[in-house]
Amino acid sequence: MRKVFMNHVELKQVSKSFGGIQVIPPLDLSIRSGEFLVLVGPSGCGKTTTLRMVAGLEDASGGEILISGVNVTNNRPGERDCSMVFQNYALYPHMSVRDNISYAMRVHGVEKSEIDLRVGDAIKLLGLEDYIDRKPRSLSGGQRQRVAIGRALVRKPQVFLFDEPLSNLDAKLRVEMRTEIKLLQRKLGTTAIYVTHDQMEAMTMADRVVVMRAGVIEQVDSPITLYEEPINQFVASFIGSPAMNFMEGFINDGTVVLGDQQVTLSPEDAARLCSATPVIFGIRPEHFRRSDHQSELSLTPNVVEPLGAHTLILGSLEGQKITVQVDPRFEVEPDIRCTVPIDMSQAHFFNPTSGIRL
Amino acid sequence: MYPVRYEDMVLTKILESKHLFIWPAFLTVLIVSLFPLVYALIVSFQSIRLVPPIPPRFVGLDNYAEIVSSARFWGSITTTAIIVCISVFLQYVIGFTLALTLHHNVRGASLYRVVFLLPMFLAPVCVALIAKMLFHPVLGPVNDLFTIFGSPNISFLTVPPLAIAVLVIVETWQWTPFVVLLMLAGLQGLPSDVFEAARVDNISIWRRFRDITFPMLLPLSIAVIFIRMIEGFKIVDTVFILTGGGPGTSTETLTLFAYNEGFKKFNMGMTSALSFMFLIVVIVFGSVYLAAAQRIVRRYK
Ligand SMILES: Nc1ncnc2c1ncn2[C@@H]1O[C@H](COP(=O)(O)OP(=O)(O)OP(=O)(O)O)[C@@H](O)[C@H]1O
Ligand SMILES: [Mg+2]
Repeated sequence: MRKVFMNHVELKQVSKSFGGIQVIPPLDLSIRSGEFLVLVGPSGCGKTTTLRMVAGLEDASGGEILISGVNVTNNRPGERDCSMVFQNYALYPHMSVRDNISYAMRVHGVEKSEIDLRVGDAIKLLGLEDYIDRKPRSLSGGQRQRVAIGRALVRKPQVFLFDEPLSNLDAKLRVEMRTEIKLLQRKLGTTAIYVTHDQMEAMTMADRVVVMRAGVIEQVDSPITLYEEPINQFVASFIGSPAMNFMEGFINDGTVVLGDQQVTLSPEDAARLCSATPVIFGIRPEHFRRSDHQSELSLTPNVVEPLGAHTLILGSLEGQKITVQVDPRFEVEPDIRCTVPIDMSQAHFFNPTSGIRL
Repeated sequence: MYPVRYEDMVLTKILESKHLFIWPAFLTVLIVSLFPLVYALIVSFQSIRLVPPIPPRFVGLDNYAEIVSSARFWGSITTTAIIVCISVFLQYVIGFTLALTLHHNVRGASLYRVVFLLPMFLAPVCVALIAKMLFHPVLGPVNDLFTIFGSPNISFLTVPPLAIAVLVIVETWQWTPFVVLLMLAGLQGLPSDVFEAARVDNISIWRRFRDITFPMLLPLSIAVIFIRMIEGFKIVDTVFILTGGGPGTSTETLTLFAYNEGFKKFNMGMTSALSFMFLIVVIVFGSVYLAAAQRIVRRYK
């Protein structure tokens, strides 16, 4: 019986430098047992590096890494009982699908019957029955992906590590696979750390999302909290698609002044925000809608994109770009000024200098 | 009917213009390599002696018959095969080991990388001359080394097994760098994430080598060994300088045998026939090797 730890994987003040350049300043992060944690952030922010430090493929320059309460900072990768799915799959090219999946177990002397059982299960689960004797090079990207997952799966590790496993797949397969991975992880109850730069993937799969920027963790929260209560402007702009609109303005007597337009604050915001503070006013495209705390903005549409379920208006407002999502029946013509409703209860306000949400 | 497609027209053009590309190269090959070969083949069926000059006379397969029935020929094949097999084996094992060490970035790897390659750039004649001094029965440092341990002077180059051993050592020393170079290139071309995956899966370094590195480099290994084998069969300068084929003909290799026939006896018909026998021997050894290699590859396929 595996002992259950509240914090299954813990990073304490872990940092990483390459040469003289510090790419990860000391970082703290704990991952609960059975949790699906997603690391997300723009390219080059240190997600892969963090994951590789957990795996032991990269030495931490400072700090401690604990797995199940054991300090593994100086352990070899093999001693950490993690299994990893690499961005480019990293399958053994000269081995068949079956051999790829069973290789580690064969090396570690797992009993033949047990191997057959586990490999059989994995193959059935991942729908690889027709390919077991094929070499990776004669598989499609999605099939290779599944083999890589199968290989990670059968070892029954303590922790799954995924490094952008879906980035090479087409959009449709990516959507399918992310559901499959999520279901699989939940079924097995194995702790998982998943790296992606796709915020959609992060939102749909994660129990908790870690948003990183330049090696620094900006926010760790459940997807919905990230969406509703982003801690700063960076997180707000990173989470949600299309991205949140930001406009410079200032608070004046229960309203936000944006150039020569004014929108009325919701009562809570009006009570919270002092007059005359300069703010960055943030509103998501999908929150241009009718509601109890409604206000209005007029803008000049440049491009109108009917997407079926809704229509996107890319326009300009007081010289700033703005994206608005409206109902498909909304009457709008390019270059003809129009007025859209705003749900002010969904508005966000950020400090213009620090970017912190007010 | 559909009109002729544009792509088809282009294709026809290309097919027509192929002659323009093929023929010059083909003719060059024909003149430069095929003509001498055919000429040599004709000569091999004749009895020609340059000194003293004897007019060419067609003798059919007599030259070949004489070669095949001579013990000296079979002796030279055995000698060549022994030198080639042992030295190529050593070159491969040592070369691969060195390449692995260099690949794993030991301290000062870039220095070693240069130093290890030096022997390859020396002319075999120079290497043989150096070796001749090193293994000199009285003055050579190798002999000194042995006498420290109380051994009498050893005449390395006049006792057949020792002479062959020296030839093997010299060949290995000179050509291991070639193996290092190619195997290192092969190692560096391998995808690193595959090995990282194995490390995460707790595969020991030996098993990683046996199950991943080695099979992935197998095709390269086969090619490297093949090249070294073919090249090894051509060994002549080293033997010529070190032992001259002696004592007697006990270290005479195939090419040296041909050389002696051609440039000591000036027996051109015989020499040409020998060259063709050499070709046949290399083809036989090469085919046997490739067939064996194929079986090993199939086990991994
Ligand atoms: N071996 C290395 N040597 C030097 N710098 C490195 C090395 N590996 C990564 N870096 C740097 O560390 C930073 C973080 O890299 P990392 O690969 O972790 O980014 P990432 O978040 O995974 O990005 P992506 O989404 O593009 O994969 C980058 O600025 C990168 O240039
Ligand atoms: Mg990455």
